[in-house]
Amino acid sequence: MTPAEIIREARARGLRTLSEHQSKQVLAAYGVPVTRETLAADAGEAARAAGEIGFPVALKGSAPDLAHKTEAGLVEIGLADEAAVRAAATRLMPKLPEGGNLLIQEMASGRREFLIGMTRDAQYGPCITFGLGGIFAEALNDTVLRLAPVSGREALEMMDEIRAAALLGPYRGMPAVDRDALARAVIGVGAAALAHPEIQEIDVNPVIVAGDRPLAVDALVVLASASG
Amino acid sequence: MLDAMIRARSVAIVGASQRKTETGGDKLGTVALDYLLAHGYAGKVYPVNPKETEIRGLACYASVKDIPDDIDLALIAVPAKASVAVMKECGAKGVKTAVVLASGFAEAGEPELEAELAAAARAGGVRFCGPNTNGLISVVNDMVCCTSMVCAMPRFSKGDIAFLTQSGAVGGSMLGTGTEEQGGFSHWISVGNEADLQVADYLDYLADDADTRVIALFIEGIRDPDKFTRACAKAARAGKPVVVYKIGLSEVSAAAAASHTGAMVGSNAVFDAVCRKYGVVRVDDAADLLPTAITFSRLLDKLPRGPRMGLIGPSGGICGICADECHRFGLDVPELPQDAQETLKQFIPPFGALRNPVDVTQQIRSSATGYQDTIRTVLDQDCIDGVFLLVTMVGEPRASFYCDIFTEAARATEKPVIIAWTGAQSLAVKAIPRIKRNQVPIYFSARGAVNAMRALLDYRRFLDAQAAEAGR
Repeated sequence: MTPAEIIREARARGLRTLSEHQSKQVLAAYGVPVTRETLAADAGEAARAAGEIGFPVALKGSAPDLAHKTEAGLVEIGLADEAAVRAAATRLMPKLPEGGNLLIQEMASGRREFLIGMTRDAQYGPCITFGLGGIFAEALNDTVLRLAPVSGREALEMMDEIRAAALLGPYRGMPAVDRDALARAVIGVGAAALAHPEIQEIDVNPVIVAGDRPLAVDALVVLASASG
Repeated sequence: MLDAMIRARSVAIVGASQRKTETGGDKLGTVALDYLLAHGYAGKVYPVNPKETEIRGLACYASVKDIPDDIDLALIAVPAKASVAVMKECGAKGVKTAVVLASGFAEAGEPELEAELAAAARAGGVRFCGPNTNGLISVVNDMVCCTSMVCAMPRFSKGDIAFLTQSGAVGGSMLGTGTEEQGGFSHWISVGNEADLQVADYLDYLADDADTRVIALFIEGIRDPDKFTRACAKAARAGKPVVVYKIGLSEVSAAAAASHTGAMVGSNAVFDAVCRKYGVVRVDDAADLLPTAITFSRLLDKLPRGPRMGLIGPSGGICGICADECHRFGLDVPELPQDAQETLKQFIPPFGALRNPVDVTQQIRSSATGYQDTIRTVLDQDCIDGVFLLVTMVGEPRASFYCDIFTEAARATEKPVIIAWTGAQSLAVKAIPRIKRNQVPIYFSARGAVNAMRALLDYRRFLDAQAAEAGR
């Protein structure tokens, strides 16, 4: 499905958020690098999908309007083989909401986590956030903001402006982050917001840097309520 | 259309009167008339008052409709309720523009009356400023259509700074202090309630205005964001810096946002992003608004090409303070090349410092030309993009000597020079006013000077990036 179709269908069903998988499909269409991943209905499908993606994998619950999966115990990571996937799937299935699926995805291993976000300001339109991601994001609040569309120059400037900018360079044996790839992701979030006025907010967090390669590991697209 | 308002060749003042108010003061219209005459307006002036025949030696008309001339601008100085009828008469007369001074409209819980006023203006084809405004001043045209007490100042200096304010009182006080700083102004407009013309309309006009090169804004809120950003973009393309101070930042607009990122975004950050996008120079201290605009006006043709600063002062202490401020604001203080240091050695006593910051020591006073030669040498270096001239304690007549050599150095270079004068101003009573009159930027702290240089550098970088993107 195209991004427009995904959004239209969700709105037709009265949903306020896209699932993680749908959110990533929308963002990938605008150049945001996302994890390789597949939906599965049961443990057997999950194990097969994991084999195709390559171990280790992460297993997550996937359902519309499911915003905070970690808190709900719907995320298992670092699953090293088929048996581990089956066991994790068996644990997760009962916690899934009605109509939920399993999402098997590539594990992005890296210790550097960033976030890219979008909020639609009532006056000035889509505002794009870039900053330090991961579980400490709110506490550290190390983010910078630009109006969409974000130019390549602006995206690179944003990276220089966060307090933790040193994390983007070579850092403790880790290579420098591919800034151009990260810039494309920032630009892409802005482009998605401009192309789809029905999107109210976007939250891509974390963007994990695997080696030098940024990869959106989790994503949430929030839609404007159909009435407004 | 705004030409008729800002370059009015004829002004009608409705509500001027010989009679006093109940407290014995002049009526608002009379205050406006007196200021208009006192500041030497060269156009036609027509007082309007049905009860009088002559005011201040000028023939008075019963209605604008009776004036035997075309009217570019009507200054409507009657109470709120009466303003609507006057506006209708202006429409019937074919008056092009108006300023409605009275308060008592939307700001006082009377939005219907304001809507009525706007409808009357629209029906009559009159564009207007206000209501609830102190009026406007076109300094370059000697046209003071304004009731702010700042107009009691004998004169305003003509220059290229236009100032738009949503608060007449704050705008008036800033115009006054800016005038004391020898800032030169093109126009000053108190926009009032913006029932018709908005900040963005004036900004759009000023972006094209040949008399204006720098635009200062004191704003509380923007009514039409699209129009505002379009006008900002137009000013940016024209290379005219817009300097803004905005109040009302404490609201966090995104508190209700559902996602984590959303909760971290506030309206303040959004307005910052707006400023970044359009090269708008935002100051976070209201007291910096006009000084920053004035510095831009003085140095717009000498914006720093880069962050590398030369620091010249008479003590290690002040040099160190300024170097720290450069560090804080992201400016560099590079070591001067060896040959430059060798040259400086001829001018500076052996216990001075040559690397940069350049400490000329108090002893430089014993040389007639050492200071000038030092400043020239530092400014001549390719590795230097701008210079801070640091002053500690100095009294007259030495202070006036500094004024002369600093002015000469600042004028002779293509690089920006900013003075940080940190000693007692009362010891330099001649020098400091002269430095201001000479249009050499002067601050009274190292931080003020460095902060200003950083703003100039940011704007230069914005213009460069804009040019690069336009050229692609």
